[in-house]
Formats: sequence, structure tokens, C-alpha cells
Amino acid sequence: MVLLWRWVSGIPAYLWSGWGAVASLCLLLAVWEAVSITLGPLILPDPGATFGALWQLLAGGVAARELLLTGQRAMTGLLLAMVLGSSAGLLAGLSMTAAMMARPLVTVLLGTPPIAWLVLAMLWFGANDGTPVFTAFIACFPVIFVGALQGTRTLDHHLKDMAAMFRLPWHMRLTDLYGPHVLSYLFPAWINALGTAWKVAVMAELLASADGVGAALAIARSQLDMPVTLAWVGAVVLTLLLVEYLLLEPLKREVERWREVQA
Amino acid sequence: MTTGTPVPRLAVHGVSHAYGLHTVLENIELTLDAGRTLALVGPSGCGKTTLLHLCAGLLTLQGGHLHNDFGRPAMMFQQPRLLPWKTAGENIALGLKAMGIPARERRQRAERAGMAVELDAGALAQFPHQLSGGMQSRVALARALVLEPDLLLLDEPFSALDIGLKAQLHQWLLQEQARRGLAMLMITHDLMEAVRLADTVLVMDSGPGRIAHRLDLPRPALQRDDAWVHRSTAHLLHSPGVRRCFGLPPLATGPHPSPDAGDAGMAQVITLSPVQYKRSLAC
Ligand SMILES: Nc1ncnc2c1ncn2[C@@H]1O[C@H](COP(=O)(O)OP(=O)(O)OP(=O)(O)O)[C@@H](O)[C@H]1O
Ligand SMILES: [Mg+2]
Repeated sequence: MVLLWRWVSGIPAYLWSGWGAVASLCLLLAVWEAVSITLGPLILPDPGATFGALWQLLAGGVAARELLLTGQRAMTGLLLAMVLGSSAGLLAGLSMTAAMMARPLVTVLLGTPPIAWLVLAMLWFGANDGTPVFTAFIACFPVIFVGALQGTRTLDHHLKDMAAMFRLPWHMRLTDLYGPHVLSYLFPAWINALGTAWKVAVMAELLASADGVGAALAIARSQLDMPVTLAWVGAVVLTLLLVEYLLLEPLKREVERWREVQA
Repeated sequence: MTTGTPVPRLAVHGVSHAYGLHTVLENIELTLDAGRTLALVGPSGCGKTTLLHLCAGLLTLQGGHLHNDFGRPAMMFQQPRLLPWKTAGENIALGLKAMGIPARERRQRAERAGMAVELDAGALAQFPHQLSGGMQSRVALARALVLEPDLLLLDEPFSALDIGLKAQLHQWLLQEQARRGLAMLMITHDLMEAVRLADTVLVMDSGPGRIAHRLDLPRPALQRDDAWVHRSTAHLLHSPGVRRCFGLPPLATGPHPSPDAGDAGMAQVITLSPVQYKRSLAC
């Protein structure tokens, strides 16, 4: 509750601090406009046309429907990865052998490009929801797994001694010692995975789905409709930015207040 | 021996400890009764912290006996060991929370303990990384004191503090001790501090760590003035054995400071072999 209130009351000041970002975005728009004038609208439509197309997508409710669908798939994959990755990482972190055995496996997983998984997923799941969900899951899993593993392996034995000396009961060790410590590693990993899930889900849809943002992108591309294509790209990026800066960043600040370094 | 409720006591007999093949402690003997203070001094790396951790039960005993019937021990570690995600106040109240004391009372008691070590409400609301080193070590001290322990194990508790604060905390600790019979086992590198607070100063030697010398100070700690502390410290530092422990060059023979003109039968620095030490305990 306190967390929620602090989050809400923190937004105005936080938005105010965003002016620098707004200025740099304006600069980007100006450059975009200039390039589109030199190259012609067939290669790069100007921002006006793009935002017009985006507005039409939004107004018609098409954008909301497709974004929601893609969001659903990305979130399903992410949630699966959060639950399985976190718990597997924690368990592996508890045992030295498991941690050592997991290392190379995770390196392989991290090193495999999502597109390779996508091809496999298309063979396994066909053109249904399973493909984007699985691809998002498998792209996020190692990131979260590593976060959880590091969180468990790095707990200072000095703090464990301290907990023993002050006779902390087991539930307090969980909530006051292991929990916050592990979370401080897991939380950044989750946020990282969120971006990955979103991007990978769009990619999977582009190649393997009949609906969702990715599919819409594919259709716009096949019709050579540059403004709509760019409008979809814009929608994808904007959604991610909104979630990141309005929800996650303030939440992260709150969760990691204790770590904040005074500027 | 008089019968009655026995005073709680910490007793260490013939304790040795090794990390792997590296022997750190050999044949350690010491006893500490309720209401007494024992100061442990010695060169860096001689095993003082290890001995303290053994007494606290944080290390498994490898050889010898350890007997501890204090019910509420508390410890201040050499490093503050604060939880970085909790404010100073919450860190102080940690042990109280473990005892299941309600939040309101926890806060009040933590505030009082904070006051005793000169930390105001503003400091208590900060996170450890926002505090200075000395403030962090005071938080760690308050975290131990707030439990009202009957045995206080202190590992260089005042090494990060200025002399004013040090003197103030010394007085505060001595008064606490007089009020409720607290036993203290403290490690320090400040001989003057050891002589000011302790009933017995044990000097450790290294390689492997053992208790080499012992100085008993009969005058009650609250009655010691600066002059007495200076004289007694000088006396301790004039002992050739003690100088050797710390790697100090031998003194050119000069006038030996008469240890305590006021006290009849002032303490001698006793040099101990293990056998002698057992005997000196027996009497
Ligand atoms: N966990 C450990 N593993 C291996 N060796 C250790 C460990 N802790 C301490 N030692 C060794 O034991 C010896 C004694 O260490 P200890 O911390 O007890 O010294 P100390 O007397 O407290 O020193 P200081 O005054 O510098 O704090 C040192 O030589 C150190 O290298
Ligand atoms: Mg030490």
C-alpha cells in the first residue's frame, strides 16, 4: 500500500525529470523528417504520415487488439520463465554441484539465437499461440535463471553468521535476509527479460502467426505500405517505453531505494 | 564455595583451532564471570576474532572445552555487518524482531539504544550506505546493546570513533555494567582502552595464537582516573614480554614507572606458560 502511494506520488516529479529525454526525442524526429525529405516518402515516410497511420490504427481499435494479443503471448512466456527460471535458479544456487553443472548449459542457452528456437518452435507448435509463447519463454529463461543463481550464490556468509548470532528464526531469514538479497538480483533480470519477451514475441508472430502485432507488420510489409509498417514499429516501441518508464523504472527505484547512490 | 544461585560464567579450557592446516589458536584458557570485563589485546592476525567467534558458538569447537551459561549473549562483529536493505533503525531492532517483540515497542527501544550511541532520529532513518563508517559501527553496537544482553562480545567496538565519543561510550557501558551485572569480553588494539575498562587484560601472542601475559586490575573501573590509566598502561608497556608480543624494540633500561602508588599490591604483569596459567586460575 505504501509502495503504491509512493509510486503514484512520485510520478509528477519523475515526469518532470523526463524533459531531457523529450528534447532528445524531438531531435530524433527532426532528423527523421530531414532524411525522409531527402530520400523520398517511398523509402522513408515522414513522421507526419507515420503518426497519421498510427493514429488511425489506434482510433480504429486495431492497434489495441493486436497489441493486447501480442502482449498476452509475451507475458505468458515471460511468466512461465519467471516462475520456472527463478525457482530452478534458486534450487541450483543452493547446491555447489548443481550450480557448476548449470553454468555451461546456461551459456549454451544464452548463446543460442532466438531465431533458432523459433524455427524449432514452428516445427513443434505450428502456427498457433504456442510458437511465440515458447520462443519468448526460452529467450527469457536463461537470463532469469542466471539472476536467481547469482542471487543465491553471492550471499555473504558474514551476514549468515550475523543472523545466527541474533537468533533470527527461519521465516525472518527468508523475509529479511535471503529474500531481499536474492530479489536484488532477480528484479533486474525480470526487467531485462520483459524487454526480451516483447521483442521476441513480435518476431515470432512475424514469421509464424496469423494475428498479433508481428503478423500485422508482416501484412503491411507485403503490401509495401511503409507508413503502416513504421506505425506498427512505433506502436511496439512506444508500448515498451511506456511500460518501462511509467511502471518499471519507478518500481525499481522504490524496491532498490536502499541501493540508491547519492548523486 | 558459597552455595546460592551460581553466577553465569563463560569458561574456555585448552581450546585450539585451525583453519585447514594452519593452526591459529593453541591451548587457550580463560574465564569470565557475570559483571566482569575481560580485554583481549594482541598483534593483528593472532586469532582474537577467531577466539571470540568460538565463544559465540559461530565456529565449531575443534579441541578443548567451552562452557557458557549466559542466556542472552550479544555480539558486535569487527565489521558492522548491517543489512543494506534496512534502515539503521530497523537494523538496530533486528534482534528484537527475532524475539517477536511488536513493532511499536521495537521502534521505541531502537530509538533509545540509538540515543545511547549518539545517533539521532535522522540517522536512524537512513540506510547503512548513507552513514559514515563510525556511524555504522555505532549502529552495530546499538544492535547488540538493545537486546540488554548478559554477555557482550565486542570486536574492536570503538576503533572507528573519535576520542570524545569513545570516552562517552566507555562511561555508558560501565554504568550499564554496574546496573545489571553485564559481562564483557572485548577485543581492542587500544591498550589504554583495555586498561580503562577491563578487570583483566589478556595479551595474546601470535604464531600460533596463545595467551602470553595477563594483567589483573583490582581497582573498580568506575573509580579509575586518567592518571591511573596512563600509569597502568605504561606499566603494561614496560613489560619486556608484552613488548615482544607486539614486535616493539626492547626498552633501554630506564626508571620503571611505579605502577600504582595509590593501590597497595598493584598488579603484576604475569607471564604465563600454559601450566602456570591453569594454576593462576585455580587460586
Ligand atoms: N575463515 C578463515 N579461513 C582461513 N583462515 C582464516 C579465517 N579467518 C581467519 N583466518 C586466519 O586466522 C588468523 C587469525 O585471524 P583473526 O581474524 O582471528 O585475527 P585477529 O587477531 O582478529 O586479527 P585483527 O586484530 O587484525 O582483527 C589469521 O592468520 C587469518 O589469516
Ligand atoms: Mg579481528
